[in-house]
Amino acid sequence: MAKAFKYGLKGITGFLEPAERELLRSLFDDVISMLEPSDRGKQDPLAALIGLDMDVREPSDRALRRLLPNVIKDDAAASLEFRQLTERSLRESKIGALRAAALDLDKDELVLTPADARHWSTALNDVRLVLAERLDIRDEADADHVHQMQDWSQAEDVESYLALVYNFTTWLQESLVQAMLQSMEARP
Amino acid sequence: MTSSVALGPDTQESTQTGTEASTDSLTAPDIPWNLVIWNDPVNLMSYVSYVFQSYFGYSETKANKLMMEVHKKGRSIVAHGSKEQVEQHAVAMHGYGLWATVEKATGGNSGGGKSGGPGKGKGKRG
Repeated sequence: MAKAFKYGLKGITGFLEPAERELLRSLFDDVISMLEPSDRGKQDPLAALIGLDMDVREPSDRALRRLLPNVIKDDAAASLEFRQLTERSLRESKIGALRAAALDLDKDELVLTPADARHWSTALNDVRLVLAERLDIRDEADADHVHQMQDWSQAEDVESYLALVYNFTTWLQESLVQAMLQSMEARP
Repeated sequence: MTSSVALGPDTQESTQTGTEASTDSLTAPDIPWNLVIWNDPVNLMSYVSYVFQSYFGYSETKANKLMMEVHKKGRSIVAHGSKEQVEQHAVAMHGYGLWATVEKATGGNSGGGKSGGPGKGKGKRG
């Protein structure tokens, strides 16, 4: 079993079993491949260099739309204009955090610097946002329903497996954020 | 938002108070754009409070108050500023995975931060 992240003399530390590392690695990789632009080759190199993307569209996939939301509610045109200026770098910063967290999985014991912890917390959050869309979590009642699923011996279909994975990543993120809040308090 | 697992609530009182606004004399008093954070059933309450503390430099008390407003009312105005300032905050919030939008202020504020930007207090960009 994984151990909850905790804050101590060495900083923020955690422990994951090999199977849990593999699970997290594949979750991080899945979200990275969702976020990687598919048509990089066609990009105007100068526009790409300064982060512009004139071909960008509001994502059709719900999960991707949650990761990259419109910046103005009920104004698709203004949101699209903003997306052209910002979406590429937002994708890249999310991918950067997911890659950094995945690299930390190579070590036996997780000892996270403040920067590592920030990468982990956003990476786990993005994974949870994607899993929640796949599980159709729309409100607090849906979330409670998924939260009931705690027993791995009950995992008999894709949905119950996803629910267990969601609950594991939720538990892990909660313990990490508590450790991060403690480290903020400890800072002079 | 969700409060997740039974890691006990952090009841420790913050020693900092929400004095950020008074120090920001360079910002005009009635700047016309708001940064809005919307509730969702996924983001952890602790994480949302952490983001408000670490990005905006808000005190624990103020961050928790704004977080509870998001949770209970469905949305909260967490910062004001010029359009460019709040757009920059919105991208940062999207980076953290929070659901943020910007809107023109209508005058009827429902609480939230008064400061034009982060960088005060213990603000630390993530």
